[in-house]
Amino acid sequence: MAAASTASAAAGADASSFRFPREYSFPAFFTRQTNLTTHHAQLSKWSALVLAYARHHRIFRLGLSAAADSDLFYNRRLDRRLGMPDIRELLDFMKKDGRIEYASGGGGGSEGEVVFVYWRKPEEWARKIEKYVEETGQKGSVLTVYELGEGEGTRGTEIHGIDNEVLLKALNVLVRKGRAQIFGQDDSQGVKFF
Amino acid sequence: MFLKHIDLTTALRPFYLPDEVLLFVQDNVGLYEGKFKLPNYQNGQVYLTTHRICYVDKEDPRSYSVALELKEVDRYEFYAGFFKSSAKITLIPKPPKRSSILPSAVSGASHQRNGSSLTRSDSPRSNPEQSQATSATWVCTICSFSNPVPSNFDPVTANAHTPLPPCLACGIKPTLAHVLKAAISGANNRAMNTPSFASSHPSLDQSGVVPRPLSENLSLDLTSSPQTPQNDEESTFQCPRCTFSNHPSLLSCEICGAPLISRKQSPPDARSSLNDIRSESPGPVIENPKKTEQGNINVSESVKISFRKGGEKIFYERLKGSMTQRKWLLQDAPPAPTRSRLADEDPSNSSPGQSRKKAAGIAGLEQLGLNMRKNNELIIGSAFEDLEALMASAKDVVALAERLSRQNSSGADAMSAEENKLLAESASQLGLITTKDIVGGGGSSQSLYLSELSRNVAEFLTDDSRGVLKQAGGIITLVDLWAKFNRARGGVELVSPMDFEKAARMWEELKLPVRLRTFRSGVMVVQGLDRTDQATIKALLAWLKDLHEFPPEKEVPWDWQQFGMGVTAQETADRFGWSLGVAEEELLMAEEHGAVCREEGLEGLKFWVNYIDMGDVKPPKSQAQRDQEAIVKALKKSGMI
Repeated sequence: MAAASTASAAAGADASSFRFPREYSFPAFFTRQTNLTTHHAQLSKWSALVLAYARHHRIFRLGLSAAADSDLFYNRRLDRRLGMPDIRELLDFMKKDGRIEYASGGGGGSEGEVVFVYWRKPEEWARKIEKYVEETGQKGSVLTVYELGEGEGTRGTEIHGIDNEVLLKALNVLVRKGRAQIFGQDDSQGVKFF
Repeated sequence: MFLKHIDLTTALRPFYLPDEVLLFVQDNVGLYEGKFKLPNYQNGQVYLTTHRICYVDKEDPRSYSVALELKEVDRYEFYAGFFKSSAKITLIPKPPKRSSILPSAVSGASHQRNGSSLTRSDSPRSNPEQSQATSATWVCTICSFSNPVPSNFDPVTANAHTPLPPCLACGIKPTLAHVLKAAISGANNRAMNTPSFASSHPSLDQSGVVPRPLSENLSLDLTSSPQTPQNDEESTFQCPRCTFSNHPSLLSCEICGAPLISRKQSPPDARSSLNDIRSESPGPVIENPKKTEQGNINVSESVKISFRKGGEKIFYERLKGSMTQRKWLLQDAPPAPTRSRLADEDPSNSSPGQSRKKAAGIAGLEQLGLNMRKNNELIIGSAFEDLEALMASAKDVVALAERLSRQNSSGADAMSAEENKLLAESASQLGLITTKDIVGGGGSSQSLYLSELSRNVAEFLTDDSRGVLKQAGGIITLVDLWAKFNRARGGVELVSPMDFEKAARMWEELKLPVRLRTFRSGVMVVQGLDRTDQATIKALLAWLKDLHEFPPEKEVPWDWQQFGMGVTAQETADRFGWSLGVAEEELLMAEEHGAVCREEGLEGLKFWVNYIDMGDVKPPKSQAQRDQEAIVKALKKSGMI
């Protein structure tokens, strides 16, 4: 449940290894540009930065207030930070691209708003899962959701450690395609691949 | 008469001569030569000055602008216009100056014997000389008949083989020595009594013409009378109305008073301007205006100015004024009386100076002191005289001002034309060029006033001696310019802000070298035409690039070699000499072009080279593009399913 805190913890763990892009050390990058073209370029670059950062740290959920103080949006060396309104604008921009999604309500009130960062979109995750199932010959068998995300079987693959909700979204994509079926209760859901 | 090509100022107005004062401007005029329109000179502005009448074409002012010197104008006539025919003012040139040819003719006659080229030239101008040559006579030794010396006889080159015509009466050839003697004595005679040329032509005096002052008639005598006996008829030509044979120098018929000017003028002109073949086109437009080099137009007839949009009356009034004043004469006059008086004193000054050279020691010093005192006295005396002259004119000025204020207070809005003229004159004397009055009254001339004002301001801006634009870094806000312009006018005839803005807006239309720019915020600035946005951006970027090279004054956390420095509007203003507002606007303009980007921080708004959008990110798609893509996507989907 404490996805956001794990995210920031992970970010703190190996932030040094992440290579920020060149713009990150450009002071004007942290100011909202008024020129439309420049602004668009700015948003695109920020979006790429956020996704790369999330991918590097395998962040699936981003708590806004926590992220605002993280290295991602706050360059301590330059003493420049991206303001909250600008972050929101950036998220709106990314949402249009399908790169983030606001977590609905249950993200945890204390951390404020939380977004899913789709450095891989659910469709892409669905393809990954299908491929994994096919490769391991588990078609037709039933797997639990926990098994997919945290189980020993997926260790070493990208699927391992995936956020539960993101995983469910990916599975739902497969269900809609008719490639899988989800059954069971809230806590112990199972999925069968066809 | 020549319509001389003139040079224009940067604001496409004529360059004025020293002391030349603009009196009137009228647009929408055309030029005629005689009865024919001059092509390319049909829509322009006419500038009446104290010295000239200038025509500046509207379409192509640089190539079709001419001036006519008032001193060459003999008479001027006014034609009020009739139905569709617009009002015209006809300028009739002075009769071509024979007196200018006369000296050359005389010198030609006196030097004729050693300058064979003169006598042999076949140019029509040598006519008078030819006739002079014939005026030398040799008396036949056989029959004592007076024969003319042949025109091609040159005593310098004549030798035994020169063919000599026989005597006209008896047909006996004369001896060379005889003719030679006659020719030389004839030349000597004329050299002595050229002024009293008539005496060598008794026939003229006998023709019953009243004796005239020779100085004014000489020209005609030389051109027409001495040619041949039958020339007498030509020289005393008939009056077209009453057929009385008048003397050619008369301007109007002695009997009936009919004008003879056209007749009198055409023969000498036809002769003098043989080189320019006048195309007698029946149409109203001359096909080929007779252009000599540099765009001058040789006009043999009168010049008409056609006023298609009015203004002719004031023009006529002022033309009359300047024709009577004849200010162009002042140019040749000694500049100031004081100097001439000093020059008079010179000999007396120089003589003691010479004596001083001789004197030495104490005597010399005393002499020097004496001279200096004398000199001082003289200067002070003349200075006081100047002062008195100034006072005298000051009285006039004061009186004028009083009259003006009286008129204003009484509320009489209708000023007499005379008053108006006086005012305009005084205003222009005070150094104002464009006033509402100068371009004529009435609402219709408002646009003309504005266009003149526009040119005036443009001149003010581009005047290198003032350097208004240069001082302001090539860009100045309209408000600042307005203030400067009015200050330059010395507090009189101030231009209203409304008129000023309107005038500024006309620069583009008038193709003047300055332009008005409106920034996004609505601030209006004035800058040279060559200073485009691109040029400004280039300058800005070059400066920002320099900041990559030179280390910043204090430590900065970022890589200044890569990103340089952010600059504030204040720094930019200092760097380029702009005002703060202009710098801000220029930076915003550059930002709008995507050349720079902004950074809002604790230190205020700073501008950086745009490292955010380096062209590696695709620009945002337009709505249409997005729609199209959506359709393609949907089609693909449906095709797959």
